[in-house]
Amino acid sequence: MDRKVKVIPCSGIGKVYGLMAREAVLKTVFELCPEKSETVCLAYIVTGDKEVKEKIEGFDCITVDGCPKMCAAKNVSITGGKVIEEIKVLDTVKEHKGKKFGSPTQLNSDGEAVISEIAEKIAKTINKII
Amino acid sequence: MVENYAILPCNGLDKCAGVISRELAIKLCKNGKNEIICPVYYRVAEAKYNKIAGERPLFVIDGCQTRCASKLAAEKNLKISKKVTVTEEAKNQNIELKNNLTLQENENALVEIILNGLNNTEDGVPQSSAETSFVINFEYETFQHGKFIFRVPKNPEVYFNENDCWAYVNGNRARIGVTDFVQQNLSDILYFTPPGIGEEIDQFGEAGEIESSKSVFELISPVSGKVISINETLLQQPELINENPYELGWIAEIELTGFEGDKELLLGFEKYFEIMKRKVEDLNG
Amino acid sequence: MSELKIGLISCSGEECLGGTISRLATRKVLEELKLVETVTLCLPLYLAGGREERNFAKVFPTISVDGCDKLCAKRSTEKYSGKISGFIDVSKIIGNENALNTKIVRNKDLKSEHFQMADEVAGEIVKMIGSISPDSYSGKSFRGCGCGGD
Repeated sequence: MDRKVKVIPCSGIGKVYGLMAREAVLKTVFELCPEKSETVCLAYIVTGDKEVKEKIEGFDCITVDGCPKMCAAKNVSITGGKVIEEIKVLDTVKEHKGKKFGSPTQLNSDGEAVISEIAEKIAKTINKII
Repeated sequence: MVENYAILPCNGLDKCAGVISRELAIKLCKNGKNEIICPVYYRVAEAKYNKIAGERPLFVIDGCQTRCASKLAAEKNLKISKKVTVTEEAKNQNIELKNNLTLQENENALVEIILNGLNNTEDGVPQSSAETSFVINFEYETFQHGKFIFRVPKNPEVYFNENDCWAYVNGNRARIGVTDFVQQNLSDILYFTPPGIGEEIDQFGEAGEIESSKSVFELISPVSGKVISINETLLQQPELINENPYELGWIAEIELTGFEGDKELLLGFEKYFEIMKRKVEDLNG
Repeated sequence: MSELKIGLISCSGEECLGGTISRLATRKVLEELKLVETVTLCLPLYLAGGREERNFAKVFPTISVDGCDKLCAKRSTEKYSGKISGFIDVSKIIGNENALNTKIVRNKDLKSEHFQMADEVAGEIVKMIGSISPDSYSGKSFRGCGCGGD
């Protein structure tokens, strides 16, 4: 399907929230909405290559950011992607006060639970569009 | 971003920065809420724009240091509420502007970066601060340790305590908050518990709490007085404290009691800067 | 004792296993094999961040770690930040077939052989650090990394 929604996480390697963004997106595109969505490497988007611009320019994009720097949202927008929703991992994290989610390398069970929540939110948006 | 500005760009036609200025103005008006003032027309026939200029806050976009738009605003006796200078923004972002008069990759990237910055900055301005007169014009000294940068305002009206909290004193009021040392160490701040409005706080008493996934930090007030307002935006966006703890991330405003006495136990910029540097080095080895 | 800090920038690409291995290997070096002070930066901050982020490779000798031969981290660092001191192409270490595997990307799908791949790549990163900083056995640890550090 050509008009899949592009779901793009930040590549946050320094914080657990970056890993949560990544895993939530992968759960969405591999498990929840594999026919309707796909991901694009944010690192590739940063290069500005023509090939990756063609992949996202004008397409519906959902970005998932691990911290307020909003790298995914900003970079996708600069490259011409149509950002229809900006998801912030911290918005969901704030609803789980007091919990720890693992490390930037590995999530624990609470981390996995939260990324499932985030993935469901993303899937809900995708299912509204397609 | 707060809408309903009157936008006055410089519209410089012979420089890239002027083209960017124009593009910014156009993009800012796409929502239908902001309105552009054409600087050329305004100079020769001001009647058309007097109403907009009179009713809306003015947002000036200068392309370069010649500051034509700012000068025009001054000529027309208009108060500038917000200002961007394109060449300064390009310098801050390390983006080189070429001599071309059409927008290319760098120029478009700069436009987006400025727009994103405006969205974040403007959203952080709390409505409740309209009652107070804290004009923020801080000059900062910076200290780098590894890849982390710590800033401290140098202004003489800003005082610090050894608990890494600051107070910006203006007349009989002060704004308080935490320093870069605190927000860097806490990392992403997720929760903000403000002090109560009307609460009387002693110097070195507790004035709210901020929390990240790492720990909870209790603010220790540098000054004594009554809490007259809090930064309500932080309730939804506590991460503003990380973004700029001295401006967007201010915590509360205090009506001072006994500041002359309190002052003797506070530190000025120079002393606090040295203390902070030592703390950073001790913490990181 | 060496005061040298080395910067690591990983692609962390989400489209294939190479990106996952790249990320894991970089994390391993940061957390476990800290021979010198290593720091990292999220690659997208070059555009999304400001001057401090773009000055990263000017301040630190920097090694890029890429999951495939597109070499996004290498190219972006050179474009926005500065010359890199070395680069790792994970696909050259674990093989193209593994690196471009699009079915196994998530952490939960990784098997022991994938963690071994990450260890191998981490070893190559450490060798490269050693070639940049011969006196690398300072034993100094670095508290944090990334955008703010955890």
